[in-house]
Amino acid sequence: MSPAGRTVFVDRARDCLERRALWLTALATAAVLVAMLYLPVSIVFANAILADGAVTLEHFADVLTDPFYVGVLADVFADPLAIGTHLASLAGWLGAISLSISLEYPIPGTDVPIPWLAVETPGVRTGLFGFTAYQAALSTVASVALGLPAAYVLANYEFAGRRTLRSLTIVPFVLPGIMVAVGFYAMFGRAGTLNSILGVVGLGPFPFVETNPLAIVVLAHAFYNAPLVARITVAAWESVDRRAVETARSLGAGERRAFRDVVVPQLAPAILTGALLTFIFTFMTFPIVLALGGLGLATVEVWIYDRIQRLDYAEAATLAVLETILSLGLTYAYLRYESAQAGFSRAATDRPREALFPDLETMLSPKRLAIGAYGVVALVVFVGPMASLVVGSFTDGSGFTLRNYAFLLERQLDGASFQTRPLPAIRNSLLFGLATLLVAVPMGVVISVLTVRAGRSGTVVDTLAMLPLAVSGIVFGIGLLQGLVFGIALPGGWRLQITGAVAIVAAHAVAAYPFVTRNVSPLLSSLDPAMVESARALGASRYRALIDVELPLVASGIVAGAAFAFAISIGEFSSTVILASGSESYTMPVAVERYLGRRSGPAIAMGTLLLVVTAVSFVVIERVGGRYEL
Amino acid sequence: MTELRLEGVSKRYGDRDDGTTALCSVDLTVRDGEFFTLVGPSGCGKTTTLRTVAGFETPTEGTVSFDGESMTDVPPERRDVGVVFQSYALFPHMTVAENVGYGLQFRESTERKPTDERVDELLELVDLSGMGERSPDQLSGGQQQRVALARALAPEPDLLLLDEPMSALDARLRESLRLQLKRIQSALEITTVYVTHDQAEALAVSDRLAVMNRGRLEQVGTPQEIYHEPETRFVAEFVGDNNVFDGTVRATNDGRTTVAVGDATFELASPAVDGGALESAASADDRDRFGFCVRPDALSRDADRNRFDVTVETCEFLGESVRVHGRWNELPIVLRLSDVPDDVVTVGFDPDDAHVL
Repeated sequence: MSPAGRTVFVDRARDCLERRALWLTALATAAVLVAMLYLPVSIVFANAILADGAVTLEHFADVLTDPFYVGVLADVFADPLAIGTHLASLAGWLGAISLSISLEYPIPGTDVPIPWLAVETPGVRTGLFGFTAYQAALSTVASVALGLPAAYVLANYEFAGRRTLRSLTIVPFVLPGIMVAVGFYAMFGRAGTLNSILGVVGLGPFPFVETNPLAIVVLAHAFYNAPLVARITVAAWESVDRRAVETARSLGAGERRAFRDVVVPQLAPAILTGALLTFIFTFMTFPIVLALGGLGLATVEVWIYDRIQRLDYAEAATLAVLETILSLGLTYAYLRYESAQAGFSRAATDRPREALFPDLETMLSPKRLAIGAYGVVALVVFVGPMASLVVGSFTDGSGFTLRNYAFLLERQLDGASFQTRPLPAIRNSLLFGLATLLVAVPMGVVISVLTVRAGRSGTVVDTLAMLPLAVSGIVFGIGLLQGLVFGIALPGGWRLQITGAVAIVAAHAVAAYPFVTRNVSPLLSSLDPAMVESARALGASRYRALIDVELPLVASGIVAGAAFAFAISIGEFSSTVILASGSESYTMPVAVERYLGRRSGPAIAMGTLLLVVTAVSFVVIERVGGRYEL
Repeated sequence: MTELRLEGVSKRYGDRDDGTTALCSVDLTVRDGEFFTLVGPSGCGKTTTLRTVAGFETPTEGTVSFDGESMTDVPPERRDVGVVFQSYALFPHMTVAENVGYGLQFRESTERKPTDERVDELLELVDLSGMGERSPDQLSGGQQQRVALARALAPEPDLLLLDEPMSALDARLRESLRLQLKRIQSALEITTVYVTHDQAEALAVSDRLAVMNRGRLEQVGTPQEIYHEPETRFVAEFVGDNNVFDGTVRATNDGRTTVAVGDATFELASPAVDGGALESAASADDRDRFGFCVRPDALSRDADRNRFDVTVETCEFLGESVRVHGRWNELPIVLRLSDVPDDVVTVGFDPDDAHVL
């Protein structure tokens, strides 16, 4: 072949590849999704309905008729047609409710009698699912209660650092759960910061975590989700058109009335969206409960994990399927609701904000004092655990110490190979994070491109993109373990087996790509389609148009998506703890959990390192010019 | 250079017959080097036609061919077309020069001028010399529009497609850019398809034009043909001001047709001579619904035939004339007069000035 001929050949080949690049990436994405998401999830489903190779609903029957899992509903599931009996027992329960009024002295040290209305209900056995929903509901209430005041302050007052604070609301969402759990230990534990502070004024120490672990778990959930509620609500609040309020006022509505009639209806959907998301997330909660509550507070997710540890896969799979059905239902409700509210989102208008603390006199007004009180609560709940984590890693009961870090160093230098050493954990976390970013970004971008091009049918793709959010890390983890780690027999004596690092990265990528998609899609869909068409008319292939025109213009979304992908990989615990068990591929969150089993000091030190790595990665990416959106 | 031909081109959205029809078997030939305009109200299918030619839309039926070569399976980047959009779609992350030069890297020919030289040449062509290093957002709307034109022309396309390129600009700028565009087009002798909703612009700029409505071609012809001899009621009403009358044929004799409109009668030059319409409209039904139109400039106060009284409602002073909106027998009437009339003005028209629809 002549040199010229070869050049032409190379050109042709490159050209051919270029024209198919988009589809090739899409195919690769689909392959990763099938192998790492749909296959594992179907394996879990198959496990739940197969017994000795035959399809059966026995597992479901076992779970649904066991009061341990479903509480009082077990009878209903066991014999759904005995409606009379069920109604009778419901009536019996209602009949047993008693009301009483008594004089109580609720304020200690005073003799002020207050008439006390008491409702006594006979106990209801809620079962595992009931308890999971119960704690999720409590967490949702707590998150909304803590999030709304923050939204109010951020949307209506001007103060130094408001914008920074507003962007910081994204951070808790990506913090590793296990680290937050450790932070809460460091804050509320017997030797925690709160007790140290109370000790100064001669109180305590109180065993907060031991006395009421549920309250601490709920608070930890609020740590995660209240900023989410605040973020969504602030966005809605800022998009309320000031002129609509002014119109209402000019039509005769007072300030409160205008707020109720114009602002509240526009905030309500946002608050409900935040609440729904919080409920979904906390329904599937895992590391927080595992670390702070243990089996005493077991949620479905924790129980599944425990079943897996005991090698009871069928039961674990059955529970996983039931949990997934519930969370998919909730996610579907959320998506339906979100799309119904799509018309609400508008560009934020510049609204006037009051100065938060203009002068001393205003500072002492009831409103400002309430805001100040909220600030103290926020400090304890949001800043406290993170600060305690750092402080706790350098102190013990008696003062400053480097013992915790010394332990890590010692373990690194002298640890036996079966022991968990810090350096491999850090190295693995960084490597997996980077690899996840490299896999998840193309996946997310290609899905964005296809969704945006698909137009109306794009919602289907969007729903598929949300699936990883609805499938809990544990479910996903068992699927991966049973499918890819144990291996699947293929015809011809081959086995499909993916283990260790590759499996972990793929699992992280699947968990992370929805965030890339959700950051890139809005930017991509707001691009003038004529941009791409101009490039194509000028001779660029679809792929070249993507590279030359679209990607540079949505770069900020891609960077933000990459930041999410990295942070999610660094923080991912649920599926990693399953995939890394007994291997060298443990990551920092897994190491934290392993250290936590013995003494809290080294775990806190490890958690601090995790916090540092997460924070640094976010700072680095913010310097590059990321723009975060959930 | 290139002759563009559309044969039986239809476009339906949605997968079945109940989907909306954007184009309905359009047959069209744009001659080599011609400045051809597609004009019609929004949603008439003119932009869909242009996008089908560019390859951004695939026709449900029919073929598009350039110089007899079918473009059915040719992707947009292989069609050698230059496209200018209403939004200009300049790449905001590239300089003006990078925008103009973008298409040059994809052209295969070896005997091209270096990119820089070609870019300078084009910037000069559109009067933007020395602006190459600017960013598109530093330019005015008119300048951006010219950059988009230069970018489309840089790779020497066979066909130039313009999708409402002026509609974002103010009227005066639009006129001067229109002249510049026309000058460049005739200098390059490039086959051009221009899409606009502005019928006056279409008449002013085109060699030939097609009036489109509801996905169909209503009429194709020179601006003079379209203006003076509209073939359909839609064209008569859409292009220019017009007065359309509906009546009943009373008598046809001696090259004259007598038509009753309400309680008045008008005498027209017999359409049998004019266009042969009455022959085909011989049925009683058609004679009962007989339409004709008279342009405002044909209605004059001095004409002594077909006179009727117009009640004046509003007058617009246009400088060289006054456009008068009024009513006769509940029918809206538009007149062009030399000065502002009284409350009622009597006008008439020559039988030869009426055009039968």
